[in-house]
Amino acid sequence: MKDLEVEDSAQVHAAFLVYMDLTEVRQWKDVSCVKSTEPDVVLLEGRKKEGSPVQTVLPLPVHQSLSHRSIRRVLDRGFPMLLCAVASDSTLVYQRMTDGLVTPDPPAGPFQDVGRRQHRKRRQQH
Amino acid sequence: MAEPPCREASPVVAVSLCDSAPLLWRVEDLRAVRSQGLVGALLGSLPRTPRQNTRLGRPLLLLPEEERLLTERHGAALPPGPQDGGGAELRQQVDKYKEDQQRSYEEQSVLALEDRKSALLRATSFTHTGSEPGAGTADEALRGRLESLDQSFTFPRSGLAVQLSTARAGLSYCPEARAFLHADWPVRGLDDLHCNARYQVFRDLRRRGYYLTSAGKFGGDFLVYPGDPLRFHAHFIAVCLSLDESVCLLDVLAVARLGSNVKKTVLLCSPGTDSGVVYTSLQWSGMV
Repeated sequence: MKDLEVEDSAQVHAAFLVYMDLTEVRQWKDVSCVKSTEPDVVLLEGRKKEGSPVQTVLPLPVHQSLSHRSIRRVLDRGFPMLLCAVASDSTLVYQRMTDGLVTPDPPAGPFQDVGRRQHRKRRQQH
Repeated sequence: MAEPPCREASPVVAVSLCDSAPLLWRVEDLRAVRSQGLVGALLGSLPRTPRQNTRLGRPLLLLPEEERLLTERHGAALPPGPQDGGGAELRQQVDKYKEDQQRSYEEQSVLALEDRKSALLRATSFTHTGSEPGAGTADEALRGRLESLDQSFTFPRSGLAVQLSTARAGLSYCPEARAFLHADWPVRGLDDLHCNARYQVFRDLRRRGYYLTSAGKFGGDFLVYPGDPLRFHAHFIAVCLSLDESVCLLDVLAVARLGSNVKKTVLLCSPGTDSGVVYTSLQWSGMV
């Protein structure tokens, strides 16, 4: 990964941590690292399972900033994209980024009409 | 003479500016604006239920983007200023009002006197338990008291009941209300980069048929509804930024986490180069 010659060593370190997480913990297949010019970072590509489509992961230390344009550049590579924020204690947080307007999942059922008693209880709490 | 412009398509609403806040006061204006897909926010308290803020009344505050959109569609105008004959008309109205008050006072004095007399009669008839011998003198005393009441009774001006008519024929006809609604001409047209980004996003989403309201509660710029907010929950929290604006990853995390907690997708919106808008949906990753 160091051979990719990306200047930001913090980002390279973050990429390494994500690489270890994907391969050892989540057991993704075919994980490889790719250098991206704009933004100047190391990207990871891999599959969740054998035969599933390739996804791009953008690892970033949590204190760095980024622009919408650089996110779009990574999205424009054509693969589903995950942004991974790496904290100073190596905690990893993944977020999915998609082009366009994606309707959120509706709340899960089954739904029950709350009785009057519950409403009164809730009102009294305030 | 030019024909009056067809008003059915986009009626012109009267926007009152109160210290740079665009307000709508008339019910027909609120209805017209809602039918164009602009929601706004009600600010006023309702006269019958003043001490709560779940249900508010007029005026309606427009978002700066909504006001700008109305201006672009030539759908907004300031309410008409005071007419030239205002002075004479006003004097006539004041004179008429004074006459009405005087007439009402005279009527009420008469009624008050009647009321006093009947109260007196009632009081004496209670004490009078029909004892025959004292009847004559009691009657005379009563008549005497009634006569003195006739002469000395005065109805105080402070006791006058005044009727206030609350249904007005539209605030545009009321000069005092107009003076209150007008403030100094405010500084309009903020050319802030962020404001411009917000407006581009607002216009694009509105054109796609979404309804937008302010998202101060969620730390975003707009809440995006797939239809009228009275019928749907919001689907998206829109965060407007320019393409090259750099944002700290911590802020992205915070807003994404909030979005997942309230079951809304966070939408990063940036006006693009060709007057289109670029959208990126941010969702909490299901694999974590």
